[in-house]
Amino acid sequence: MELRRRSFLKGMGALSGVAASGVSFEAVAQAAKAAPAAKATGTSQAPETKTVKTGCAICPNFCGISATVVNGVVRTIYPNPDIAPYYNHGICPKGASGMLNTYDPYRLKKPLKRTNPKKGPDEDPKWVEISWEEAFSTVTAKLAKIMAEDPRKLVWQHGQGKYLIQEQFCKGFTSAFGTPNMVHRTTLCEAARHVADDLVFGSNGIIPDLSNSKLLLNFGANYYEGEQTSRWLDWTTMEGRDKNGLKTIVVEPRLSHCAAKADEWVPVRPGKDAVVILAMAKVMIDAGTIDEEFLITYTNATSLVGADGKVLKDKDGKTPLVWDTATSAAKPYVGEVKPALKGTYTVEGKPYKPALQVFADSIQDVTPQYAEEVSGVLAATIVRLAQTFAKEARIGESITIDGQKLRYRPAVLYSFRGLEAKEFGVQNWAAGLTLNMLVGSPDAVGGLKLNNPYATPAYFDASKCEYPPQRADLRNSVYFPFSNHDIAQTPQLVALDPKAYGLPYVPEMQIFYATNRPVAAADSWKQFEGLTKTFNVTIDVVMSEICLWSDIVLPDKTYLEAWHFAPTRGTPLASHTAIRQPMTNPYNLDQDAFSILFELSKRLGIRDKFMDESNKAWGLKEVTFKPGRDYTPREAVEVIWADKTKKDFSVAMDQGFVGTLLNVKQRYLSGIEDKFKGPGKPKMKFYRDQMIDTYEKVEATVKKNDIKNLDLPHYKVALAPIPGKEHAFPTPHREAKDYPFYIVTHKRMYRNQSAFTASNAILNQALGPDAATNYVTVNSKTAKDLGIKSGDTVMIETRVGKVKGTASVGEGVRPDVIAVSFHYGTFSPGLAPAARNGTWINQVLEMHPDVVSGMVSFNDTKCKLYKA
Amino acid sequence: MAKFARVIDTNRCMGCRACVAACATENYYTPGAQWNAMVEYEVGTYPTVKKVFNTIGCMHCEQPACKAACDKVGAKAISKNEFGVVLIDYEKCIGCGYCAAVCPYGVPQYNSALNPLYPGKGKVAYETIPNAMRDPTHRKKVNTVEKCTFCWHKLKQAVADGKMDRIGKDQQYTPTCDLVCPVQARVFGDVDDPNSAVSKKIKESGAVQLKKNFGTAPQVYYVLTEGAKS
Repeated sequence: MELRRRSFLKGMGALSGVAASGVSFEAVAQAAKAAPAAKATGTSQAPETKTVKTGCAICPNFCGISATVVNGVVRTIYPNPDIAPYYNHGICPKGASGMLNTYDPYRLKKPLKRTNPKKGPDEDPKWVEISWEEAFSTVTAKLAKIMAEDPRKLVWQHGQGKYLIQEQFCKGFTSAFGTPNMVHRTTLCEAARHVADDLVFGSNGIIPDLSNSKLLLNFGANYYEGEQTSRWLDWTTMEGRDKNGLKTIVVEPRLSHCAAKADEWVPVRPGKDAVVILAMAKVMIDAGTIDEEFLITYTNATSLVGADGKVLKDKDGKTPLVWDTATSAAKPYVGEVKPALKGTYTVEGKPYKPALQVFADSIQDVTPQYAEEVSGVLAATIVRLAQTFAKEARIGESITIDGQKLRYRPAVLYSFRGLEAKEFGVQNWAAGLTLNMLVGSPDAVGGLKLNNPYATPAYFDASKCEYPPQRADLRNSVYFPFSNHDIAQTPQLVALDPKAYGLPYVPEMQIFYATNRPVAAADSWKQFEGLTKTFNVTIDVVMSEICLWSDIVLPDKTYLEAWHFAPTRGTPLASHTAIRQPMTNPYNLDQDAFSILFELSKRLGIRDKFMDESNKAWGLKEVTFKPGRDYTPREAVEVIWADKTKKDFSVAMDQGFVGTLLNVKQRYLSGIEDKFKGPGKPKMKFYRDQMIDTYEKVEATVKKNDIKNLDLPHYKVALAPIPGKEHAFPTPHREAKDYPFYIVTHKRMYRNQSAFTASNAILNQALGPDAATNYVTVNSKTAKDLGIKSGDTVMIETRVGKVKGTASVGEGVRPDVIAVSFHYGTFSPGLAPAARNGTWINQVLEMHPDVVSGMVSFNDTKCKLYKA
Repeated sequence: MAKFARVIDTNRCMGCRACVAACATENYYTPGAQWNAMVEYEVGTYPTVKKVFNTIGCMHCEQPACKAACDKVGAKAISKNEFGVVLIDYEKCIGCGYCAAVCPYGVPQYNSALNPLYPGKGKVAYETIPNAMRDPTHRKKVNTVEKCTFCWHKLKQAVADGKMDRIGKDQQYTPTCDLVCPVQARVFGDVDDPNSAVSKKIKESGAVQLKKNFGTAPQVYYVLTEGAKS
């Protein structure tokens, strides 16, 4: 294939043998050599230049950046050169052009009031600019009424807002106001992954200890095109490959950039990953290539399970029993007890098996051949992956780091949305965690580092299965028992029919902070419908789609204009604490989200309560917010910085952050080694018995309250204590029989989420025409069969609706799959025209949330595909 | 004497285009005249597929075809300085476009319009900085040709500051595309110094020049990933 660069290479002439004309000295070079060390711009006036160290806030990497401001204009954004040991070595195109979001002429600059009361896709809000005084007094009047009547009627929702002024202030405000309804976006992101973590190790957050890994088995994490912790994963995967022999195998339906750079791409049928993982587990268990000592020492794989699926408990009704092979009796795992992992045992006349045995029995028929039929991955490949994973895990080996002997298991199965953005997301990621447990990789050197295990022991208990639900998002209600991290998409559905869910009040007002929720959900038009039921206020930088359904829109500052105590991403090697500081304000904005909240709290008479609740939310101990005074955004950041770092604020302004390199104890000995190891300690849930107990509660609650809109059989499947093959058959796969193709969705590097970067002129124009829009990626053979060529307009038709797209035909996707990215194709006239290029896929995705966690499924929908 | 060269390791490049975006903001990009571009393509057939990510800025050739053409038409707007950097003087450029036609790499960009970033919305960001405040390489002129300058405005500052040893290391003295890469797929420096990072990288990696058959002796080398075309 001819190496082509841009479009105008067509017809380029060939020059054979260019005559050497000699190299002439460039006048500027001579002058520069001779000139004194002055600004070599050729201008007479030295510009005022300053460098500002701060943090990027476009995506959840929160990279450290260094911006140069010349005569008040943000000229360049580079990575902060000092942050590399702690997080990012570089930045992404969005970060490098981040100032364009600040200078975006389409952004919101003044408060707006809607004068057309009708809300709908074809309704013009008929915005009128209002003063901040009118905005505050209007919003305050609404809030005051609700606060007096029933503060629960206020639903606060944020997305990226959690990472701007940070959730702690949102929590402070909503707590002071008296509403439980603060809703983050995680069920549009990674909630199922979090909840599987919660259920397995009592906390959430995972990251591979990649600097020491030899094998990364990546089930659909896309760090080269996506977000969280990506800038560390990018660097570390490349370094690992080039310097430490790291091999990466990517299992996913589409050739993501991660798959493109991997040692092997395994194109799995969407949603069928669970059977691949379970078949691998079977191969490993049958071959005996599992870390039995790990399972016994750190997990409840030894807990005795009865025929009813429940764990056998001691007389106290709480302590699980194991089969002590030393005394041939059922005992708590304490002292000299030697627990069995396999076999069947009789206790008081009833048969019991250790949980590992139960698991092994459950996957007897999940053979590699079966998995091949279901998943499209060859049986031989599955066997090879299992053998490779077990081999690279080096079960039983140890390694010494800084004088400490540590477990060494340098094989890790990692995932992000690939396993969890699914109707059975919790079970799918639980399968991934299971495979890691089988080889002992959790918290081992080179394995899967777990964030703060057992921080929330309550996650090991049955859910409260609340009914009637107290929260408008139904968090931890009977409907979504383990939705520990809010449910982003339910408030709009509940607003449509609160009685149907037993909600004891009717939501009346919603405040949206830096979220374009309906666009980012599935079955999006239903979400917009819900918005017609409430008085809506949106705080944002751009006129996103959610603004069009809002009554009041308030402009926010971007991260280059605001003071934030910044969130940061930790790595297995380091952590850091950072701020964001302003360097420009081209549209002379007066307020930001913090000052808006602060002013509202004052007008509502809850200012001191707001700051006191913020003290609690931030966990401030020595330096706290005091009552009886106002706080500017900068002053608020200074308080938090002082308490968290005990350093002068000048350090924050000068360096942007302070960092810590973690020692061996912090890296490897503070997690499961401390919390779960050995007799007498709690155990990781290899077998999640709390799910069975929870299902019983769900069943009882449904019956007691005569709940009609909860499908018990489905909940029984979803609340299984171990993953099974049924978790590879989400609703669309079972029901959408006439829809032959699977849709997978994915991120791209050239925009973030939906609205914030959509008008960025650099991202839309300077990166190449293929970054200005998105495509429907179709396999070349499929395209040929359907008469589709690259560039053709195609129709994607699901059971929800239809949407058009531009085909991109190639080899990088399974023949039965189409891939469409997020970020493009939305419709707000308030964004730059280029923002509307492409296909907005969310509107045709079926809504089947994981009932365990509330996670929206983005990768289960099936469709028809044809030329439009 | 130093001669600047670059190595781009396509084994490491993950196709993010940070370098493309960073070049655009650094160099006062106007829509339609992109100085750094990503060429990406698939290699293989399903399911054995890989993707090549290959960015191309100016090669700053030893025997630049663009300069030869420009000299031949008499404009003499293109020069190659003592450090090997090939530069276009917009004031001398007659806008014939011959350089763009003869470059084997499609590098020179004919800027026919100096398009604004946001039509109808006025100037934003770097657009507000007047020419008098810009380096000559950033004083774009309609109907002239422009291209990657190895961020000469930064390199000459290093020369002026006596900090040539910091080129490729310090952000202020390093071409912007090379310093933003999340996986450090790019190395820039003095190829005349056998101990420089760029010289070592070329030697150790077996990095090659693209389209060598055109004989322009490009000074940007590529470590070719599997399937990448040279």
